[in-house]
Amino acid sequence: MNPYILATLLFGLGLGTTITFASSHWLLAWMGLEMNTLAIIPLMAQHHHPRAVEATTKYFLTQATAAAMLLFASTTNAWLTGQWDIQQMTHPLPITLITLALALKIGLAPVHSWLPEVLQGLDLTTGLILSTWQKLAPFALLLQIQPVNSSILIALGLLSTLVGGWGGLNQTQLRKILAYSSIAHLGWMILVLQFSPSLTLLTLLTYFVMTFSTFLVFKLNKSTSINMLATSWAKAPALTALAPLVLLSLGGLPPLTGFMPKWLILQELAKQDLAPTATLAAMSALLSLYFYLRLSYAMTLTMSPNNLTGTTPWRLQSSQLTLPLAISTLATLLLLPLTPAAVALLTL
Amino acid sequence: MLKILIPTLMLIPTAWGAPAKWLWPTTLAHSLVIALISLTWLKNMSETGWTSLGLYMATDPLSTPLLVLTCWLLPLMILASQNHTALEPLNRQRMYITLLTSLQFFLILAFSATEVIMFYVMFEATLIPTLIIITRWGNQTERLNAGIYFLFYTLAGSLPLLVALLLLQNSTGTLSLLTLQFSDPLQLTSYADKLWWAGCLLAFLVKMPLYGVHLWLPKAHVEAPVAGSMILAAVLLKLGGYGMMRMIVMLDPLTKDLSYPFIIFALWGVIMTGSICLRQTDLKSLIAYSSVSHMGLVVGGILIQTPWGFSGALILMIAHGLTSSALFCLANTNYERTHSRTMLLARGLQMVLPLMTAWWFIASLANLALPPLPNLMGELMIITSLFNWSWWTLALTGAGTLITASYSLYMFLMTQRGPIPAHMIALEPTHSREHLLMALHLLPLVLLMLKPELIWGWAY
Repeated sequence: MNPYILATLLFGLGLGTTITFASSHWLLAWMGLEMNTLAIIPLMAQHHHPRAVEATTKYFLTQATAAAMLLFASTTNAWLTGQWDIQQMTHPLPITLITLALALKIGLAPVHSWLPEVLQGLDLTTGLILSTWQKLAPFALLLQIQPVNSSILIALGLLSTLVGGWGGLNQTQLRKILAYSSIAHLGWMILVLQFSPSLTLLTLLTYFVMTFSTFLVFKLNKSTSINMLATSWAKAPALTALAPLVLLSLGGLPPLTGFMPKWLILQELAKQDLAPTATLAAMSALLSLYFYLRLSYAMTLTMSPNNLTGTTPWRLQSSQLTLPLAISTLATLLLLPLTPAAVALLTL
Repeated sequence: MLKILIPTLMLIPTAWGAPAKWLWPTTLAHSLVIALISLTWLKNMSETGWTSLGLYMATDPLSTPLLVLTCWLLPLMILASQNHTALEPLNRQRMYITLLTSLQFFLILAFSATEVIMFYVMFEATLIPTLIIITRWGNQTERLNAGIYFLFYTLAGSLPLLVALLLLQNSTGTLSLLTLQFSDPLQLTSYADKLWWAGCLLAFLVKMPLYGVHLWLPKAHVEAPVAGSMILAAVLLKLGGYGMMRMIVMLDPLTKDLSYPFIIFALWGVIMTGSICLRQTDLKSLIAYSSVSHMGLVVGGILIQTPWGFSGALILMIAHGLTSSALFCLANTNYERTHSRTMLLARGLQMVLPLMTAWWFIASLANLALPPLPNLMGELMIITSLFNWSWWTLALTGAGTLITASYSLYMFLMTQRGPIPAHMIALEPTHSREHLLMALHLLPLVLLMLKPELIWGWAY
């Protein structure tokens, strides 16, 4: 892509999120969200492939619906309460509408169906931006509104973890697997939103680091399906050894970083006397763990001297920078001992 | 405590930096020195019950035998793995030793943890190296299924444990083992409290394993390479027992009623898995089911909550750890020569490898709890405490002892006695390494006869 256009689009992405972060007026927040949507559309369609265009269209329609719902809800709030401030919302109707609109924006169940199909149509880099950067602005808004009905957030959260777990079980395409993984993690984030917004932020940031590592692992191997992972031992042996740990961190196994948000969220739910919710959420993590384990089996644990699962490819020099992957892998694996520091730093 | 932990951690750079010719001798010597120093833990002289007390780690008469067993097992695992990894690339051998060392590291932290969440994190942390050892270095395609069963059975039990621990932290304010036994007894009356009781124990029951949730064990033990089988049988199962013994202190008085079905499951499991052993064709599978059988007795001993029960459970855990690991090493000597675990294909070995028969004999005798070995001491104490609770358990435990003797004898006679099959024409003579391995397993068992107080636990 023309570097000027790429720079403009990336700048637009950054600006949109920043506007939403900095806004206290609903209209400005909506503008930031729309800027984000508009800026990423050309990035998604850059390959002019019908599948990419289909993904772009689906993304645009869902995000536009969500943004329109957001606009409508904030207008209703202005009508009912007389002010546009994000943090001063009191009436339950607009709050619920905005929560559902933002749920559609990020891809929580039951409004999650667009996410796997959109992610599948994108290349891995744009998919990474979609999974990470595009979630920041909606979460900034979610963290600021005071929820009225506790059950709706818990229902969204539990449903998302279950849908994310079950949905990913039948997938062979890596981007769809990552989409369902995203849905599951978003479920965990929403689960604790009303009790401890700082834990939501912590979960969001650890999810960013883990999914960043995972996307980069797949990008380095140029693999987009489970079968293509089988040749990664030939392309990057050390990475192949570390990748199962990255995937198990996504699955939330101690002593890796991915355990930290799950542990703290379960602790918060226990404090709020929501033991059955906590148990159900914890067990749903097992579903996701199954397909992460399947990925690590395909990639590493069935390596030679066992029978090869794929044909050996040409070992061409990869031009991808490995420094970001190295740093994010370290963070994905080793941050659990720093839990007290993380909790202290991220107090909202 | 750190004087053991840091050398264990340093074993990882040793494994990666040692020259190729010296990799195995160096790591073996290093881990043997660690094992020898770990014997100093056995001296429990403190009046508070906790020795080597630090902020996060401490030892007491319950954890020291298990810690010493863990540290003792690492050199044994390194000895056992030397041959079957000899043909692999050097880096893979280094990786294998690193995995064994990391397992050791997590196990030491688990057994010496003073805070229950730390114990939980380390308990779960042992799953990852074990999974990698089973699925990456196992030899048959079934190892993939074995890894899945292993991981998911354990996690399905331990996730409710995490929730239960966090609820406990909520109500008592702390999860430090140092003070938890002195906290006010919990008012456990509602149905939810009964679920909480089950949540606290389910993870450990799956790990032990209790008959009924034991399906992961035969798969994992059989498909794992020898070092994996050794550490699984000797130590990882005992993590479950140790966890149960720590948690059950807080679960009174519910345990008096709620443990009934689990004791029945455990004792019935002794009989059932013993009977299954009599019908096994796969040698490692026989030893695996024998582990389930012995651990069923341990579960019964712990759930009965008497001093003799606890002591018996700990003694049996240590004795069984050494015996089971010895049996897996023996099975591995067979496997390395014939590349088959089928007992029919490796019969009559006394003719060919008579010295190994001596080790098979002693290991089988230990397995069937021959007096005066500690195996009998543990089993007898558990059987007595169960008899004290209810005379009817004697029917199950007595029959279990009988069946144990039968299948141990069956295993010995099948592998050692009788005519040697016609296709076994060129078996390697027993390596000194294998003799050393067996001696290092069985000598501590015999020496423990002379000072059993070391493994009596709190009753000492």
